[in-house]
Amino acid sequence: MGTAVNQSFKEKTNKVLGITPEDARLTKSYLFVAFAALLLGGVLGLLQGLNRAGLLELPSWLNYYQVLTAHGLLLVLVLTAFFTVGYFYAVLSHNLGGLLPKVRKMAWIGFGMKLVGFVLAVISVILNEASVMYTFYPPMAASPIFYYGLVFIVLGVWMCAFGAFIQVANWRKNNKGKHVPILSFFATGVFVLLFFGSIPVTIEVLVIIPWAHGWVETINVMVSRTLFWAFGHTLVNIWYLTAVSAWYVVVPKLIGGRRFSDTLTRVVIILLVILNIPGGFHHQIIDPGIAESVKFLHVFMSLAIGFPSLMTAYAMFSVFEKTARKRGGKGLFSWFKKLPWGDVRFLAPMIAMIAFIPGGAGGIVQSTNQLNQVVHNTMWVVGHFHLTVGTTVVLTFFGISYWLVPYLSKRVLTPAINKLGVATTLIWTAGMIFMSGAMHWVGVLGSPRRTSYTTYGDNATALSWDPYLMFLAVGGTLLMIGVLMQVYAVVHLMFFAPKGDTEFPIAEVEDHAAKTPYWTERWGVIIVIMLIVIAMGYVIPLVEMIMNAPPGSPPYKTW
Amino acid sequence: MKNQFIYGFLLLIFLALPPVANLLESIMIVHMHMQMPLLVIAGFLMAGLIQQRLPQFFKRWNHNGVPGILLFSIIMVYWMIPRLMDEALTVQSVELFKYISLPFLAGVPLRDSWQKIRPSFKNVIISCFSILFFAMGWLYITWPEQLCNNYLLIEQITLGWGFLTMAVCMVIYLIYNTLVDPSDYEEPSELSLEEA
Repeated sequence: MGTAVNQSFKEKTNKVLGITPEDARLTKSYLFVAFAALLLGGVLGLLQGLNRAGLLELPSWLNYYQVLTAHGLLLVLVLTAFFTVGYFYAVLSHNLGGLLPKVRKMAWIGFGMKLVGFVLAVISVILNEASVMYTFYPPMAASPIFYYGLVFIVLGVWMCAFGAFIQVANWRKNNKGKHVPILSFFATGVFVLLFFGSIPVTIEVLVIIPWAHGWVETINVMVSRTLFWAFGHTLVNIWYLTAVSAWYVVVPKLIGGRRFSDTLTRVVIILLVILNIPGGFHHQIIDPGIAESVKFLHVFMSLAIGFPSLMTAYAMFSVFEKTARKRGGKGLFSWFKKLPWGDVRFLAPMIAMIAFIPGGAGGIVQSTNQLNQVVHNTMWVVGHFHLTVGTTVVLTFFGISYWLVPYLSKRVLTPAINKLGVATTLIWTAGMIFMSGAMHWVGVLGSPRRTSYTTYGDNATALSWDPYLMFLAVGGTLLMIGVLMQVYAVVHLMFFAPKGDTEFPIAEVEDHAAKTPYWTERWGVIIVIMLIVIAMGYVIPLVEMIMNAPPGSPPYKTW
Repeated sequence: MKNQFIYGFLLLIFLALPPVANLLESIMIVHMHMQMPLLVIAGFLMAGLIQQRLPQFFKRWNHNGVPGILLFSIIMVYWMIPRLMDEALTVQSVELFKYISLPFLAGVPLRDSWQKIRPSFKNVIISCFSILFFAMGWLYITWPEQLCNNYLLIEQITLGWGFLTMAVCMVIYLIYNTLVDPSDYEEPSELSLEEA
C-alpha cells in the first residue's frame, strides 16, 4: 500500500512538474540520433535520386548500391527504431510516474548497444563490404562484421523491450485492477512485437554468420528470406502502430476533441499484435517453392491486417467530424474547414493519415498474387513504401516532434517554428507526390527497383522511363529541403527555443464511455494466441522448405 | 446467446460447403489443425443457447463438468487417429460423423464443462493435451511411412511440427499461469467477476 501511495504521488508530481531531467535526457538522445539519421539518410537519398535520374555520376569510391544500403539502414532502421523507442520511453515516463532507475539504465545500455551495432554495420558498408541492401538476405553476403552489428542492434532492442515490460509490470502491481494508460498500452504492444518479431531475424543472422565466415558452404535461401520477412513486415507494423498511437490519443487532444472508444483502440492494438507476424508472407508472394494453396491461405492472413486499419480510419474520421461539428462545422464536407489546419501538430499527422488511403490500397494490390506479378521488384514497390513509411509514418513522427521535443527540453513551440513546420509538411507532401507518384507509375511501366541508372543500350522502353525518373529527382530534391527544415526545427526546439511549459497532449475518453473489459490487460493470453497464429502461418511453408531443401547457395558478392 | 448460436451455426454451414471442405481437407495439417478446431469452435458458440434451453439436461449429466470434459477428450483423441482422417475422406458416413461429433460432442460439452471445473483441473487438462501433442508430434515426424493413405509423407511431417508448436504454445501458457499470479495485478473483484 505504501508503494502505491508513493507511486501516485510521484505520478502527480510528474504531471505537474513535467518529465524528470534524467528521463528527458534519455529520450532527447534517442530523438537526436533519429534526426541525425534523417539528415544523413536524406542526403544519401538525394544522391540516389539524382543518380537514378541520370543527372549525377557517383564517384568510383561510392557506388549506387552502397548509397542505397546506407540510405535504407539509416532511415528504415535507425530513424524509425530510435524515434519509436525514444517516443515510447517518454510515454512510459509520463504515464507511469517516471522511469524506474533500473529501466532507465536498461534503455541506456540498449542505446549504446544499438549505436555500436549501427557503427559496425555502417563501417562495413563504407568499406564496400556490405552492399547487400537493408534486407540483407542471402545469397548476397556481406562481411561478417555487418552481421555482428545487426546482432548488437537486436540485443539493444531487446534490452529496451524488457525495460518497458518491467516498467509496465511494476506500475500494474502498484495499481491493481487499473487499465494501463492507453499510450503505455500502445508501448506494450509495440515492444511485444519488437521482441517476438526480431526472434526470426536473429535466427536468420545467427545462421548467416558462419556462412559469411565461410565455415559452412551453403545456406537455405528460402528459409532465410522467410525468416527475414517475418521480421521485416512486423517492423513495418511497429512503425505504423507507433504512428497510430499518436492518431488515436494525441491528435484528438490537439483538435480539442475526445478519444474514440477506449475498447476499440485496445482491440485494434491487440489485433495488430496477434495478426502481424505471419503477414510477412505477402512479401514472398511470387517466390518459387511455396505451394499455391499456402499462398492462397496467406492472402487471408495478410488482408486480416487491413481490418484493424479500416477500424482506425473509421474511428479517426468519426472523431474529426464530431469535434468539427462541436466547433460549429456544418454540411456534408464543409466541417473539414473547422479543423486546425494551421497547426503543424495536426496538419502533419492528418496528411499522414490521408496518405495512408492510397498507401494501404497499394498494399492490397501488392498482396494480391496476380497484381503483384505486374509490380514485383519494380519501382512501384519503392513508391509504395515511400508513401507508407516515408509519408504516413515519417510525417506523423514530424508532427509528434513539434510537441514532444519542446516538452522534453521544457521549451515552447513558437509561431515561427509552427509556420516553418507547416511549410515543411507541405514541401514534404509535394515532394512525395512527385517522387512516390513517379515511382508508382514508372514501376507499372516496368522500371526495376534497386538498379543504378542505365539505358540498357538505349533500349526504347528503358528510355521511355526517363521523364518519370526526372520527376523522381525533382521530388527527391524537394524532400531534401524538407529534411533540412525539419532537422533545423528539431535542433531549434531542443536547444534554442524560448523556455516554457509544453503539455504532453493526451485526449480523454467521452464522458459516458462504456467500461473497457478487463481481458484486454491479459497479455499472457494475447501472446499465446499470437504464437499460435504464427505457428499457423509458418509451420507448413517452413517444413516444406527445410525438408525439400535444395542444395543451398554459396555466398555471392555481386558488387 | 442467440447471436452466438447463429454465428456458430453459420460457421458450421460454411465449413460444410463442399469447396471449403475440399480446400481445408486437401492439406493434412489444415484438415486436423484448422478444420477440426473450427468445428469445435462452431459447437462452442452454439452451446450457450443450448445450455439456456436445456438447463436440466446439463445439470443432470454434467453437474461437475467432469463427464463433459471426458467426452470432449474422447472425441478429440478419436480424431487424432490417422486412420480416421482417411476414412473421413473416403467414407461419407464418417465425414458426417466428423461434422456432428466435433461441434456437438466436443464443442458443446467443452463450453459447459469449462465453466464448471476448477482452475487446477483446467491446468491438468491442458498439461495432458500438451503431453499428448508432444507424443503425436514425435510420432508424425519420425514415422518413416505414410500413416494416412491420402496424404504424402511431407504433409505428415508438417502435421507433426504443427503438433509440436501447439504443444510448445500450451507449455508457455502453463508456465505463464504458474509464474504470474493474477492477484498481483488485479483487484479480487475483477478476478471473481471473471470467474463468475
